[in-house]
Order: sequence, then C-alpha cells, then structure tokens
Amino acid sequence: MSRSSAGWRRTACGRRGGVHRLPTLCTDLARADDAAQMNTLALDQESAEWLDALRRNDSVRDDAIARLHALLLRVSRAEVSRRRALVQSRATDDVDDLCVQAANDALMAILAKLSTYRGDARFTTWACKFAIYETSSRLRRAAWRERRVELDDAVWDRLPDAAPAALQRLESDQVMAALRRAVDEHLTERQRLIFQSVAMDDVPIDVLAERLNTSRGAIYKTLHDARAKLRRALIEAGHGEHLS
Amino acid sequence: MTDFDLERLLGSQNPDPGCDEAGELMDAYCELVARGEPVSDRYAEFLTHMSNCAACREDMEGLLAMLRDQEKSSRR
Repeated sequence: MSRSSAGWRRTACGRRGGVHRLPTLCTDLARADDAAQMNTLALDQESAEWLDALRRNDSVRDDAIARLHALLLRVSRAEVSRRRALVQSRATDDVDDLCVQAANDALMAILAKLSTYRGDARFTTWACKFAIYETSSRLRRAAWRERRVELDDAVWDRLPDAAPAALQRLESDQVMAALRRAVDEHLTERQRLIFQSVAMDDVPIDVLAERLNTSRGAIYKTLHDARAKLRRALIEAGHGEHLS
Repeated sequence: MTDFDLERLLGSQNPDPGCDEAGELMDAYCELVARGEPVSDRYAEFLTHMSNCAACREDMEGLLAMLRDQEKSSRR
C-alpha cells in the first residue's frame, strides 16, 4: 500500500512509530481481534463465512484469498470503466496493470486490517471500499502525472465568476480581494500551497500527498486549518454574511 | 465570486472528522443509501466531510455505484 494512505487505509505494517510502537500495536491488534471475534456472532452469514475462512490456516484460507482477490479485481475494473474519462489516454495494458496493482494492495490492506472489521457493513462492502480507494487514488495520480503542482498566483484569475449584475460583481470583487489578502497574510507557505492547489485549482488531495511525501489525512488537516483561518479573517474583515 | 464559490473554497464550517474517520463510516453509509433506508444523525459529520473533500466524495460515489451494480445483478 502506498505511503500516502492513512487511517483505515493504512496496513498494520505501514503504521508509523517503528519498533517502539510494536508492544502497543500487538495489544491493539489483540483487542481488536477479540472484538472482531465477538462481532462474528452478529454478522450476516456470508460475512461470517468470509471472516471464518480468512482466519483459518489451511487451503480454505488460500481459496478465500483467491476469491477475494478476484472480487477486488472485478471491482477495480468496474471502477475504471465507470470513470473512463480519467483513463482515456492510457493504453489498455497500463489500465489493467493499474487494476491488478490496486487489487493486490487492497488485498494486503484487508488482510492486515481484518481484525478491525466491525461488521457495520457486509464484509464484501467493507473489503471493496479498499479496492475503490486504491483504484481511484491511482487514477487521480495517473491523471496528474505530467502536471506540475506549485504555488501559482494565476490561480486567482481562473476562479469561476458567475455574478452577473454590476453590483454583485463589485461585491464579489471586494470579497475576492479580502480572501486574497487573507491568504497572503494569514496562511503559512505550506497552507497557501495546499489551499491554492486543492481548493482553488482542484488538485486531488492524494496527488498532493504523494508530491509532498505525506498522507492524505495530513493534507486534509492542513487544508481544514487553512480554511478555518480564512473564514475567521473574512469575518474580521466584515464579510461574514457571505459565509454559510 | 459568488457565495457558492466561497463555500466551495472554504468548505462548510460544521464539524468535519477528516478523511480517516469519514472513511471508517463510508461502507455502512453506502449500504444504507443503496438500500434506500433513512440516514441517521450519526452520519452528519461524515456528510460534512463528503461535501468538503472531493477525493473522499469520489471514493464514496465509486462504492455506491458498485453496490447499485450488485443490486442490479442480483435482480437478474
């Protein structure tokens, strides 16, 4: 699984903290496993069978893993097909390779996180979530492979402007100027890069996470903090009525 | 820039749990929606995150599409 993945997406072996975290991690996993064992009683029959088969140590498990991988691969291919616009320019072999890699990484993540499955949804829905995530994240990164991500003030000129009347136009120009001032004066350089890229220029959050060598969750936290600062600055500047 | 654009840029100010916590709820939420069942208040923060985060929203749409395809196949 890629290092840009985080939280439920992150495999146990991918957790941060190195050897110092191991005792705690083992306890966490043991507790989660106990909870999962208890949850099995409340699961639907199909989910319980999946869980039982994947916890065994024999050929039944091997067979379940093969079936699960086939399911993940089907889901990945269906997701690529659904989002055909993102893969138009890619060769068929490339796309299929992307699906196989997504299914492989999803399978690894599922096996590592099996003990955390709580049964809130069917097992297959929970498992396919990993395949969707791995596939769509790869599609977004592939679509942006040739594009640069950098601080670019021209992004302000590309903002859509749908205010038709002159008065609205004047007001929106004032709000835009206040927002731009707030970005310059209140955000750190990293917050500015993340806000301008993700919120203004529609750079996918996982693309930015990969470029900045961090996790999607960390990028989102920075974006969230930047947005909160900007909201406060706009209120202080007298533009609170434009905020929901 | 309209208020709509401003909301898109700044997101909702309602509590937002972030990508990781929202991801934990995504499978259960999508099953509820696919079955046409009412969505409880438990998902309020999850939905705020979906409106604030385009990548998570795309993932959710993918999972929902998969469940709807499964539903169609099972009816055949």
